[in-house]
Amino acid sequence: MNEHAIELRGLKKSYFPFQLGPLDLTVPRGAIYALIGPNGAGKTTALDLIMGMGRRDAGDIRVFGLDHQRDSVEIKRRAGYVGPELNFQVWGKVGRAVRFVRGFYPDWDDAYCAELMKVFHLTAGDRIASLSFGAKTKLSLLLALSHRPELLLLDEPTTGLDAISKQQVFAELLKAVEPGERTVLISSHGLADIERFADHVALIKEGRLLLHGRMDEVVDRFRLAEFFTADGRGIPFRDGFIVLKQEGNRWQAVLDQQQGIPGWLQSQGAQQLSLTPMTLEDLFIALVREKEAA
Amino acid sequence: MSPDRKQLMLGPISPAAPGALYQQIVDGFKREISEGRLAPGAPLPSFRLLAEDLLVSVITVKRAYEELEREGIIYRRQGLGTFVADHGLDRSRTAKLNTARDLIRQASREAAEAGLKPSEILHLARQIIQGT
Repeated sequence: MNEHAIELRGLKKSYFPFQLGPLDLTVPRGAIYALIGPNGAGKTTALDLIMGMGRRDAGDIRVFGLDHQRDSVEIKRRAGYVGPELNFQVWGKVGRAVRFVRGFYPDWDDAYCAELMKVFHLTAGDRIASLSFGAKTKLSLLLALSHRPELLLLDEPTTGLDAISKQQVFAELLKAVEPGERTVLISSHGLADIERFADHVALIKEGRLLLHGRMDEVVDRFRLAEFFTADGRGIPFRDGFIVLKQEGNRWQAVLDQQQGIPGWLQSQGAQQLSLTPMTLEDLFIALVREKEAA
Repeated sequence: MSPDRKQLMLGPISPAAPGALYQQIVDGFKREISEGRLAPGAPLPSFRLLAEDLLVSVITVKRAYEELEREGIIYRRQGLGTFVADHGLDRSRTAKLNTARDLIRQASREAAEAGLKPSEILHLARQIIQGT
């Protein structure tokens, strides 16, 4: 069995003036993998291309080791997708939408579907048009999960959900990956949730990968630093050193420990260096702002 | 569902509590083991089951187990699972003792910085322990 759920190699797609890629990304099997980035970074474009919506300009997409064009039927059978534009209103009632989607999947699991209905507080008789925004999102998730796909592609699945609903969704996702074979690729702006629930993270900005890796390693790699310099002394720019604020001889910055910045700073004359751990959200803001300034 | 699932109750795991989530899980296990609620030889839940229970990522649980294994508090048997080590109780207590020593050291430094003399620090400690 292929150990990677998804492999992207040199993936490119442009909608002038936006360009995605070249993007290289490997999503390991059994992981909850988060794709984060500011609005317009290319998250939706990447997810759509993986799901076979739209043609790539260049590069390779492999899902379960299969070619994404030649084996697209096989891939769609084994994958589930939830996107912001899905609309099931034409089916009238929840039960009818379930019966319709069910017909496409030989692996549909009625018992699991019934369980998800309960968890998400949906009933077959609910009119889709009168469901709240959050309940419609839950219906999308239910339809994507019920055939127990090996890969779930979720584009902003928790937008507009209240805190309880969000927790229910993540609990279901953790349950879905529990046997160790299923993979979830999720894009989201809910960074506190993502930090807690995702195993891996990739940060993209303007179609390019800024940072990726295991969540704990990525977050632990950076520190918020405060230090002082002797009068009038500056610190040169360099990779892995992002100045957030400077007032007189007092500095606040983000440091990449992997690039040995704390030691380097001391060699540059930084004094009373104190380091504080960061959250994913702190890191996101620092990295995305830096690239905007540059 | 495995039977070990409901018996285990770690303390609350929250981003609002001090320390990384994985560290909170490590501390939770040490407390369960040092207070005898998890006996030597007792099985631990799988990464994925515990992740689902605590609503944290699998990576977080894996990292906590790696840390506990490194400290010799638990051990892994390929294909069988993870268990509390025979010396888990002693090691958990030793780890707790080391943490307590560090905290007392920190507390006495803070008290000294607040201008207390050693005899006053001891007096304060006695008052706190006796709850007066």
